[in-house]
Amino acid sequence: MISSLSFINQKGEILIYRVYKDDISRNEITQFCAKMIATKENKEFPIINIDQTSFIHISIKDIIILATTKTDVNVAMVLEFLYQLSKICKSYFQGNLDENCIKKSFVLIYEILDEVLDYGIPQIADPNLLQKFIQEGGVQQETTINIEKLRQLTFTLTGVVSWRPIGLYYEKNELYLDIIESVNLLISAKDTVLRAEVVGSIELKSKLTGMPECQIGMNDKLLMGKQQKQTKQTIGISIDDMKFHPCVRLPKFDKDRTITFIPPDGHCQLISYRISENINIPFKVNVFYSEIIDNKLEIRLKIKSIYDNNIYGTNVLVKVPVPKNTVNAITATALGKARYEVEEQSVIWRIKKFQGDFETSLRCEINLGTTNKDQVWSKPPLKMEFQIPMFTASGLRVRFLKVMEKAGYKTNKWIRYLTKGGEYLHRL
Amino acid sequence: MAYFGNNQQRGELQELYADLNDLNFEKKKEAIKKVIAYMTVGKDVSQLFQSVIKCLEFQDIEMKKLIYLYIVNYSRQKPDDAIMVIQNFRKDVRKSENPLVRALAIRTFGCLRVPKLNEYLIEPLKDCVQDDDPYVRKTAVLCVPKVFEVSPELCPALLEQLQKLLEKESNALVLANLIQSMREIEVVNGKQLIVLNPKIIQKLLLAIDECMEWGQIFILDYLATYDPVDSKQAEIIIERTLPRLSHINPTVTFCAVKLILKYLDYLNNGDLVKNLCKKISPSLISLLSWNQPEIQYTILRNISLILQKFPILFENEVKVFFCSFNEPYYIKYEKLDIMVRICDSKNFHQVLNELMIYINEADPHFVRKTIKSIGKIAVMYDKALAEAVSILVEFAKNVQQTNEAVQELFIQMQIIYRKNRNLYKTNDSLKILFSIIDYANEPEAKSACAWIIGEFAEFIPKSVEKMGEYVDNFILEDRLVQLQILTSGVKLYIKYPSLCSALIQQLINSAKDSFNPDVRDRTYIYWRLLSTDPEIVKNLICYVAVGSSQFQKDIRLWETKDLITALENMGSISNLFHKLPNQLYKNIKVRNNNQQEVKIYKADEKQEVPSKEQEIKKDDQIQQQQQQPKQDFDLLNFEEPVSNNNNNNNNNNNNNNNNNNNNNNNNNNKIDVYDLI
Repeated sequence: MISSLSFINQKGEILIYRVYKDDISRNEITQFCAKMIATKENKEFPIINIDQTSFIHISIKDIIILATTKTDVNVAMVLEFLYQLSKICKSYFQGNLDENCIKKSFVLIYEILDEVLDYGIPQIADPNLLQKFIQEGGVQQETTINIEKLRQLTFTLTGVVSWRPIGLYYEKNELYLDIIESVNLLISAKDTVLRAEVVGSIELKSKLTGMPECQIGMNDKLLMGKQQKQTKQTIGISIDDMKFHPCVRLPKFDKDRTITFIPPDGHCQLISYRISENINIPFKVNVFYSEIIDNKLEIRLKIKSIYDNNIYGTNVLVKVPVPKNTVNAITATALGKARYEVEEQSVIWRIKKFQGDFETSLRCEINLGTTNKDQVWSKPPLKMEFQIPMFTASGLRVRFLKVMEKAGYKTNKWIRYLTKGGEYLHRL
Repeated sequence: MAYFGNNQQRGELQELYADLNDLNFEKKKEAIKKVIAYMTVGKDVSQLFQSVIKCLEFQDIEMKKLIYLYIVNYSRQKPDDAIMVIQNFRKDVRKSENPLVRALAIRTFGCLRVPKLNEYLIEPLKDCVQDDDPYVRKTAVLCVPKVFEVSPELCPALLEQLQKLLEKESNALVLANLIQSMREIEVVNGKQLIVLNPKIIQKLLLAIDECMEWGQIFILDYLATYDPVDSKQAEIIIERTLPRLSHINPTVTFCAVKLILKYLDYLNNGDLVKNLCKKISPSLISLLSWNQPEIQYTILRNISLILQKFPILFENEVKVFFCSFNEPYYIKYEKLDIMVRICDSKNFHQVLNELMIYINEADPHFVRKTIKSIGKIAVMYDKALAEAVSILVEFAKNVQQTNEAVQELFIQMQIIYRKNRNLYKTNDSLKILFSIIDYANEPEAKSACAWIIGEFAEFIPKSVEKMGEYVDNFILEDRLVQLQILTSGVKLYIKYPSLCSALIQQLINSAKDSFNPDVRDRTYIYWRLLSTDPEIVKNLICYVAVGSSQFQKDIRLWETKDLITALENMGSISNLFHKLPNQLYKNIKVRNNNQQEVKIYKADEKQEVPSKEQEIKKDDQIQQQQQQPKQDFDLLNFEEPVSNNNNNNNNNNNNNNNNNNNNNNNNNNKIDVYDLI
């Protein structure tokens, strides 16, 4: 399995270095670091094999987390582990992972590294769980001395419901659901949809007492077809694929598509799903580029929102690519602001609030410099970013969320929907 | 506290030494933290060993962890000092009520890796394997391979204990780690340790549902190497594995896919196989659009294997492999590769339309690879030919010399012409190519151009003049180009004997003294042939290959006999590099005694007989089978297109050749006569 883990900064210096097996030397790692800094290729390829030693790494902003191994391990597992490790570190540092945090809390990181891998074999990688017995500056003495509590801890660590400790209590029982969808869209220059896909996730934040048994139901076509005769209202949508948090009982889902689980305490991503059928594309874009005459280019752009007019899209951003030798751009629009941004090589059009079922347009006059005249400009695609609350591009709805607990308390449930632009591209 | 102090003074170690021996607990702790910080940056602090281990007396768990970390790092440098901590360890393992401390001690103990210390470890370790607390048990189980690696002679009793534990262990997490730990020992030992029986399999299957994600991976990964006894058993195991396809950890999903794909071979129910494929496909496609590019990459690298054995999984799913503008380039390259593999006579239109877009991208390597892919598709599917060529011609019209991809264009067009000689009649590709022929500067591209000039001399204006330029620079050219210029020169001479007599003379003069034996040999052969009977040369060199078989070779990435081994190792590092484990790792033995030297990138000349596993799915996919996509290396890397072609011709005309040689030998005095012809 994994022979060693290191955290490396941008200069190729080792910040953290932990060996799990004896078959690797620090020298090999320093050499690799030097190489990685030197060439782009080494830096970008996630896995490199030099003379039977494999270097597997991911980059989290400026920090590179590197695992080495001499055996024929499962690469995807190592990569996923590295990502989970980065998540663990972030959970300790309020969402940051940078050189400063690492230097400041290296003792903590060594403690984490001691627990997440044993002999290079991944063990506990659940941030919530680790927080229970590893904390900055040591865990409070009470938990480490009280043997009964320790038993409970190891029971949880090795038990069937390892993600939730026993004996939680909340005065107010609350549960928040966030359905976040990002739309990946690729439209050809001829305005045909090449690919439309929604990748969504259901995020759960729970503050619940005890060991609640939960069940969630969506307008899943396969599930609803089973339950009742289909009327117009209850026709569900078809979901290509769903992936669940470890707390969801997979065999039960496999059997009859009901989703039951005991939620972890706090925040988790309960479900991630992918839908490729019947996507409601939120924006229709018409774009026209004129021929370049006398170093002038004209771009006309029309955007129409195709969702109900009581819904608003927010933070809409359209990136209209312009040639490299653009000098300036004169823009005219009725809605929002548009200006040429050199570093993006685009005219960026920002609209704070975009009502549903509404059409607006942008006109740009681009003045070009005279350099590299005969170079043909290959246009990158036009990109859109946006957020539309209370709208799902897939049409997914949560129909119910039941919480059952012995104590029989009442739970306050909240739900939010949001659709975002993912890779929302128009080829030109 | 300074972490990377730049001004490390000499007295630092002494200072630390003083702090470590201070009576104040906080001061000690700070000092130990400093020691660890130095250790991290690679500074040698082993001299402090004695003082550090003295601090073990304290029960503070954070400090204990740091000291253990220190000991693990330096125990091998200071084995004699390390022996002093043994008592501490034993006390922790045996006396501590705190399971975390027990586990910590046994875990660290295993990492000391000093042979002579291990004998003190065996007894406590045996106790821990039977500890009441599953957390300690789990840790102890993982400690066994650590000890085994250093002192295998101490371990027989322990291994037996593990085997017993495998039968009676009820905690899923311990069980999963037990499997992994025993597999590690198997790798070191080279002997089988895990003995499966139906009861244990049943237990493992139950454990999949109960243990955490990594444990699931260990069990699935292990079961994928198991050969089920019959269809019934395979079915049961698949059934228990199916739910894992919905796990959020991509590796769990991937391992489940691997296991199911492998077990499909054992099923004798065709409908079930079809249904399973339907279930696997969406799961796999989700992994392909995974939001972490590194993971996406590893999955993509494995797709070619799956595609070769299970084309059914990606039927109608080409779109999944379309590249998106901002993706990392290593993902784009993989996708491009797969798109060519997945392309067939039905979807080529869709694929070509997509490739056409990529031609305009900024990354020159990517564009080049795109051109290559288009060329491959044109050669593979006759139906796609016209469309593919029109894309290439369009590219040629607007291309600039600085564009690296233009080199690839010549190479690809040459291959296409070789297969479809009559292409020149249907469009103006020749004319356009000739107009940019000066752009060729890579040897392979130049040789392609030389071939085109020779082959189509009569349809290209000024072909003789162009050839004259090539001949003028003959000496400066690469061997590959020289060989082709020779052949093309002779072709021109055959076609225009009077116009080219000076040219051929100049050519032979400069070539016959070449340093390269290949070039020299070929020169002499042509020379003699020309001087004997130009008619034979005409037959030989202007021979038109019709539907030459070298373009229809079915070359797969994996050899069929390796497929099962490859599938079992899907996801591993060796597989990522498209190799079998024993090819990447010299010490690894592959199951199934598959020890032969297998070179995967090499083209297999013979028509392969469908192997057992392919027959099973034959009903579903006869069509896909026939359209096995080709591999990168088939048409493009044939080392020197020129000589290949000629060799073929030579073979075809073997008798002729022999006769000629005889003639030549008989008519030695005629050698210089070519001047007169």
